[in-house]
Amino acid sequence: MYVELKNINKHFGSFKASDNVSFGIEKGKLIGLLGPSGSGKTTILRMIAGLENPDSGEIIIDGKVINNVPASKRGIGFVFQSYALFRYMTVFENIAFGLRVLKKSENEIKERVAELVKLIGLEGLESRYPSQLSGGQRQRVAFARALAPNPQLLLLDEPFAAIDAKVRQELRHWLKEMIAKLGVTSIFVTHDQDEAIEVADEIIITNKGRIDQIGKPLDVYSKPKTAFVASFFGQPNIFKDYNKFHSFDTVPNVEQAIVRPEFVKVTKKNEVQKFKNSAEEGVVTDIAFRGSGIEITVLVNGETLTARRSFDEAAIAVGEKVDVFIYRLFVTVGENAFLLENKSLREPVVVI
Amino acid sequence: MKRTNRSVIPGFGLTTGITLTILSVVVLIPLASLVMFTAQMSFDEIIETVTRDRVLSSFRVSFTTAFIASLINAVMGVVLAWVLVKYTFPCKRLIDGMIELPFALPTAVAGIALTALTADTGLVGGFFAKFGIKIAFTQVGITVALVFIGIPFVVRAVQPVLEKLDPAYEEAAGVLGASRSRIFWKVIFPEIVPAALTGFGLAFGRCLGEYGSVVFIAGNKPFETEIAPLIIMSELQEYDYASATTIALVMLIASFVTLFLVNLIQTRNTRILKGGA
Amino acid sequence: MYKETTSSKIVKWTLIGISIAFVILMLLLPLITVIAEAFKQGFDIYAKAVSDNYTVKAIWLTLEATLLAVIINTVFGLSAAWSLTKFHFKGKKVLTTLIDLPVTVSPIIAGLIFLLTFGRQSPIYPLLQDWDIKIVFAVPGIVLATIFVTFPFISRELIPVLEARGNDEEEAAALMGAKGWTIFRKITFPHIKWAFLYGVVLCAARAMGEFGAVSVISGHLRGKTNTLPLHVEILFNEFQYVPAFAVSSILVMLAIAILIARSVIEYKGRKKI
Repeated sequence: MYVELKNINKHFGSFKASDNVSFGIEKGKLIGLLGPSGSGKTTILRMIAGLENPDSGEIIIDGKVINNVPASKRGIGFVFQSYALFRYMTVFENIAFGLRVLKKSENEIKERVAELVKLIGLEGLESRYPSQLSGGQRQRVAFARALAPNPQLLLLDEPFAAIDAKVRQELRHWLKEMIAKLGVTSIFVTHDQDEAIEVADEIIITNKGRIDQIGKPLDVYSKPKTAFVASFFGQPNIFKDYNKFHSFDTVPNVEQAIVRPEFVKVTKKNEVQKFKNSAEEGVVTDIAFRGSGIEITVLVNGETLTARRSFDEAAIAVGEKVDVFIYRLFVTVGENAFLLENKSLREPVVVI
Repeated sequence: MKRTNRSVIPGFGLTTGITLTILSVVVLIPLASLVMFTAQMSFDEIIETVTRDRVLSSFRVSFTTAFIASLINAVMGVVLAWVLVKYTFPCKRLIDGMIELPFALPTAVAGIALTALTADTGLVGGFFAKFGIKIAFTQVGITVALVFIGIPFVVRAVQPVLEKLDPAYEEAAGVLGASRSRIFWKVIFPEIVPAALTGFGLAFGRCLGEYGSVVFIAGNKPFETEIAPLIIMSELQEYDYASATTIALVMLIASFVTLFLVNLIQTRNTRILKGGA
Repeated sequence: MYKETTSSKIVKWTLIGISIAFVILMLLLPLITVIAEAFKQGFDIYAKAVSDNYTVKAIWLTLEATLLAVIINTVFGLSAAWSLTKFHFKGKKVLTTLIDLPVTVSPIIAGLIFLLTFGRQSPIYPLLQDWDIKIVFAVPGIVLATIFVTFPFISRELIPVLEARGNDEEEAAALMGAKGWTIFRKITFPHIKWAFLYGVVLCAARAMGEFGAVSVISGHLRGKTNTLPLHVEILFNEFQYVPAFAVSSILVMLAIAILIARSVIEYKGRKKI
């Protein structure tokens, strides 16, 4: 493990920002710290950087406990949410700042800055001030500035939060590529699940100051361990009594069931439904057009579910009676989540 | 003093140390010596000093003139701020700059200039003298000096509020068919009242303690135009430090109370401004 | 804005008229009076009054006190602003209130407290005597009183600017290992440059014109502890009106210079944002 946190606790007044947080990160990985606002993800990042100090616990980087190492000596690059570019310095001076502090020679500085400016694709803009750059360009400068002194660990606090949607998409890919190319171990904080899934090698999910789950994006998404993680992704429908829907195993003490839109198949009465016998009848209450398809809201057995259909499929109208089949759902018992599959999936299928 | 959280930004010890040292030498120790000095006196002594007829009348003169002057300033300050924010006219920038004059002009200079102007032989005083009205060496004169001193406080308190007032606000009322005077009294006036009150309080606090501009124009007749700071001054010249300190303490308490009230209004005001926006 | 009606035009110009009349009567006329009175008996008398030995000494003392007040308040203002905006600690609110306290104290009382602290009835007076340190009725007292009355002038211009901006840039620089002085010089100061200059100008204006506090503590020793405003008072009380106004005219010119500087700084500061 390159970066390791052991039993970290941190309070702000009576607010518990970190509750016995422990995890490890391998060298060269790009890690996403994902959680809702107030879940303690930024506090973790700031503690690793040395901007905050844990009340108890150890922070270890490259085998050394660094709790008492001042932030400036930790060899960490930090990209602030607001970028914190020095507004009274040019792009060149911003990137050069960390090198000047290290008292590098003027030639070395020029070379390194030129290299980084090229890397971030802002050649020709070296003498601009941050106020003369677009949001995306500022983000790139902040990235280059953090990388200039060759940090072993790069921390990014909500790196895309201040950028509009279209540019954000581009920057995500760009950042992922850059970090892969440079091989620098990186941790970024985000509250955006899509962003975490798309960019990170591994996701750490924070909730109320605790770590709920760590894993590859796909694993975290499809095998949530806790109730919180199960309900955090997608736009899930949550209801109490899943036994209303037949063909699911019965688990004792279930508190709620979570159904994601992609777990639900909605078919018109005249369409072929592989598991027609296990499907239930529902009434369409709402239809919404999303960029990538159609979102259908149906009322089944007194519960509201959402499902998706593609534009290629036959149109469905509000008020129409449809067949609704639920492939799988998550059930929660206390803090834990379990995946239940529809039993019909295991039964031999008879196609009529 | 302990920092609740260690920060990466250096210089906490140094800057806090310098701050506390200078603060102690310049403000805390001297103010404490005033308190210590009064603590040595008996309660009866203190009461005896502040209830002397001459002292009481000086309080009355101080408070009435400061109050009337601040009232005039509250009205004129709102008018000036309104004109400076809402209208464009020649020399506007010049007038805007002139408002700050009482802050920049030494009070003694203002004092002798206003005295020369309002004495019977002066330009303005001569005019009023024809009608038998005296300005200099009366309470009117004191009030004039205090109006001069206090005007920037109200203007500078009201101006930013008017500037921030969303024009859509007035337009919305206009679209609803409200008349201009109705818009002013129902929509704009309530917005500027807290700011005007703040300005009034600040001006009042300043006027209570004002000395330089008043001392020349007042004439300093006991029971008539003698203000409290002047009594303190004359007690000091007679080396009666005890009396001077006692009167000073009363004035100090009065200005702290004023300041406290101003802060109350301001807190409420910012809450409305920020919460509403 | 909607169309101006006739009645609103009347209101507009009435209000403008009242405002201009007020400014001329209350603010401009006193200025003109000072200049007019100063030159009443011709330029030679004016020049004589201004170049009088005591006047020149008063000018130097005023400059000295103003300069020292600006320097001390600069050190204080920058320190207090840094301490109060970059760190969280207990007692911060109390500290902020204490810093603002001096402006609410009457100048006479400001002078009085230094008299009580360092004067003859003070417990430390014998000590000062032994070391031969003169504060009351001497230049150090004048300087102290001047610092007191201008105390928060610089810090209160800086604190709101720093507070509004947050500490991200400083944190970023500190993370890269920059030292405190480097951070201040390269990152923080460019932001507060204009606010700082503004505070210095306000501080200088009040310092050179302070009358009440200095009057109490100076003892009015002509040629020794007389600042310009005190010199004006003495001349005026001796019925030497022309010299009194002549000396005042110096202060009027300084005041106008300060007003112009203030406007320029405010304009430049706004443009930068």
